[in-house]
Amino acid sequence: MKKAMTAAGKFLGQTFRIKSLRTKFIISFTGLILIPLLLLAFLSYYTYLEILQQNVRTYTETVINRVERNLQIYLSDLERILDLRNDYYILQFLKLSMIDDIEGNQKYTYRLWENLNNIKKYKTDLRDVAIITLKGVKIGCYGLTNVDLSQNELFQILANRTAQDNTMAIYGPHDDWLGGKVFSVGCAIYGDYDNFLGIMLIDVELDLLARICRDIRLGKTGYVTLVDQNGQIIFHPQPELIGKSVGLLLGNPVGESWRSGYYTYGNRVIMGKTLPMTQWSIIGISDRTELIAEMTTVARISFALIAGSIIAVILVALLLSGVLTKPLKELQSSMQAAAENLNTVVPVRTYDEIGQLGQAFNQMLSQIRQLMRQSVQEQKKLRQIEMRALQEQIKPHFIYNTLEVIIGLLETNQNEDVIKMVEALGAFFRISLSQGRELIRIKEEVDHVRNYLYIQKLRHGEKYDYRFEVEDGITHYKTLKLLLQPLVENAIYHGVRSTESNDGLIVIKGYRAEETICFEVVDNGRGMPAEMVETINRSLRGECAEEQERYGFGLRNVHERIVLAFGQEYGLWLTSTLNQGTKAVLRLPLIE
Amino acid sequence: MVNVEQGSGRVPRFKLKKGLILLLLVFVLSFPPGNAWRVGSSVRTRPITISIVPKSLDNPMLIEAKEAAELTARRLNVKLEWIGPFKVDVETQIKIVEGLIRRKVDGIAVSCSDAERLRPVIDKAVAAGIKVATMEADAPESNRLFYCGTDNYAAGVECGKAMVRIVTAKGWADRELNTVILTGSTKAHDLNERIRGFKAATAGRIKLNYRTLLVCGEDTTTAAKEVEAYLKKHPETDAFFFTGGWAFLGPPEAMPVYDQWCQNGGITVAMDTSYPVLQAALRGFAQALVGPDYRKMGEFTVSYLVCAIKDLPIPSAFIDTGIELADESNFSQLLQTKKPWDIK
Repeated sequence: MKKAMTAAGKFLGQTFRIKSLRTKFIISFTGLILIPLLLLAFLSYYTYLEILQQNVRTYTETVINRVERNLQIYLSDLERILDLRNDYYILQFLKLSMIDDIEGNQKYTYRLWENLNNIKKYKTDLRDVAIITLKGVKIGCYGLTNVDLSQNELFQILANRTAQDNTMAIYGPHDDWLGGKVFSVGCAIYGDYDNFLGIMLIDVELDLLARICRDIRLGKTGYVTLVDQNGQIIFHPQPELIGKSVGLLLGNPVGESWRSGYYTYGNRVIMGKTLPMTQWSIIGISDRTELIAEMTTVARISFALIAGSIIAVILVALLLSGVLTKPLKELQSSMQAAAENLNTVVPVRTYDEIGQLGQAFNQMLSQIRQLMRQSVQEQKKLRQIEMRALQEQIKPHFIYNTLEVIIGLLETNQNEDVIKMVEALGAFFRISLSQGRELIRIKEEVDHVRNYLYIQKLRHGEKYDYRFEVEDGITHYKTLKLLLQPLVENAIYHGVRSTESNDGLIVIKGYRAEETICFEVVDNGRGMPAEMVETINRSLRGECAEEQERYGFGLRNVHERIVLAFGQEYGLWLTSTLNQGTKAVLRLPLIE
Repeated sequence: MVNVEQGSGRVPRFKLKKGLILLLLVFVLSFPPGNAWRVGSSVRTRPITISIVPKSLDNPMLIEAKEAAELTARRLNVKLEWIGPFKVDVETQIKIVEGLIRRKVDGIAVSCSDAERLRPVIDKAVAAGIKVATMEADAPESNRLFYCGTDNYAAGVECGKAMVRIVTAKGWADRELNTVILTGSTKAHDLNERIRGFKAATAGRIKLNYRTLLVCGEDTTTAAKEVEAYLKKHPETDAFFFTGGWAFLGPPEAMPVYDQWCQNGGITVAMDTSYPVLQAALRGFAQALVGPDYRKMGEFTVSYLVCAIKDLPIPSAFIDTGIELADESNFSQLLQTKKPWDIK
């Protein structure tokens, strides 16, 4: 499992490895814009949802309060109309009815018809305004009828109250005798001694509730419904639901919690409020799915905006990255061209970091060209020095003297020595040439000097002797060729041969000192005064006037070759004590 | 003075004496023990309820009929309802009758403001087993049990005769008279019959040029206004025939133009002999009156409906309540027999 995950991670890493600076730039730029954008969209969505829900609640509350206020105003108006119940004509009618004075009551009957109809005219929703006597006679806008008091709920409610509790009562909705849906409000009428005489009532068309509530919309499908104290719907936008139980809307069984407060039921958001005067409840019912639909729209718009923003950001990122990476690409192309042609010049169009980089690159190319020119010159010089060093090796005088020695040996039949001599000379020249190689192994260089000394020793006899003290561990390293021979030559001609004694000794030492190889050619010859040593050493470092450089051409050749090949920290210097000897020290790098 | 006249012949006549005998029978039957009354096998446990539906409540013309009906109902121990639209409105009348059918009252008497429109609902009530009569204004094509009221054609004829007498007495018989008819409604059968009778009685005898028909909706205020307005425009008017006394139920001071027109010799014959109309006639607002007997209308309607409800025979489909004639010779005398309304 772990292996599989690692493999998958590796695969993804390799697949999506971003190599282009431009791609990195686009991804970074898009990410920088996208993350805050998504956060903003997320926060906006939930903030909007919260605000929307709050607004729905506030709006529903406002609507319900408005309905309540309208109903209360209307009921208050009815209450004021009912205050007319103590009108003289009404009281007279009631009293004459009590005593069944038909003739005497005609006048009040006609007057009341007129008055009650005038009241009815004030409000178009009034269906009837009437007085009911204790005998069950009802005089109203439509004349005189008889009422079964035991079946008249409103009369019973009011008859069971006291004169001190003479407030408006409400009953209904119910069908009136004309077949219309009404609700009734009424007040009891009391005589001079608080004796109950009857009631005054007003039948109000139920359409009033529709007129108040019908046009109210909570959202697209939300509405307001009215429910009476018994849980029966008394208004609903769908008339067929009027008279049905509120449980049809809120689900059965239904408690009383819907009568007040705000809560959700299924997909419905419900807010209820109950009118104290009537115990009717005004219920606002909204559809939550509308909110969700609206939020879906918001989400879609947000998504479209985000998608549009991403596209715009990517386009802008592409444009910007193009603008920003174009100089880099030009620089890259120029660098690639410079790998093949050092004369390439990077065009510098800006003064920003990339422009500065281009300038620096141009400077670097210029320095490389200069160094290359310098290197070519140095190589040329090195070759010249080497040629001169070789020329030094085959000086006619050396060859002539060596051949003289060989002839002498032949004349004295020292054939064995002749052979050795010729072999040494051959090896000497073979190593000098070294097939054109500049670097040879230390062993070859030591053998070269050994051959040279063999030849010179045969020539010079017992005048001096020589010894090699070269560490075996360094012989496989490489060195410039022909470095030791000029030093040994100097040790012979300016050291041990110029003394009177025949005990001259030349010691060739070779050893490793840390990360360098050191050679020393030590003789016990005439030596030099310190000033001369100083002059020679300064001459070696090029610190002397030109006229002073006549001293030690061979030594300078050696020193210059080392410096040209390996740098200033390597080279040759001399130490010498007059009449005691000279020591030439070579310091070389380790070269495998 | 009460004259019982022969009507147009369209409705079977009923003799008053015969009616009174039947009323006595009803009176006897109206006191069953415990107010319980057996019909077939069922026993009625609630009192009989009779509903009278006038054309409107605001027309006081029927106040005497209402009072008589209530007194009769009390006497017969039945419950009486007086239900109608406040103003003449046939639609409301129809709704009211529908409501009465739902309430299953025992008897209904309708004063039809529009006979044709009310006919279906009357028939519906009859079909529902309710005893239905018409009162004052008939719906003769309906299935109502009987009509109780004036023979309006005959009343119209009497009005026409009175007009002929007055015109002849004035020496205007040969003169073409600009005549205007004021009526309550063009749909009411009773009023149309009065106009028909009036025209029939005057035709060929005097030269009446009918200039227009004013319609007041049986509203007293509208009636006075219509008359005043017309006379202002047409002072050349010579005669009026009022099919009802609505214009005279308001204060006479409200009709100054008419008052002046009357003083200038204008002739008016009107239907109605109620107290305020007689008062107006005495003031000179009318030269002849023909009045229905509203008290009998109320009394007979209730009595015969009770008979019908109790499955007693009804003597005729037309219960004629008769008419009374009045002219300048007996206005004062007749007024003495009337009771002031005292309702305004």
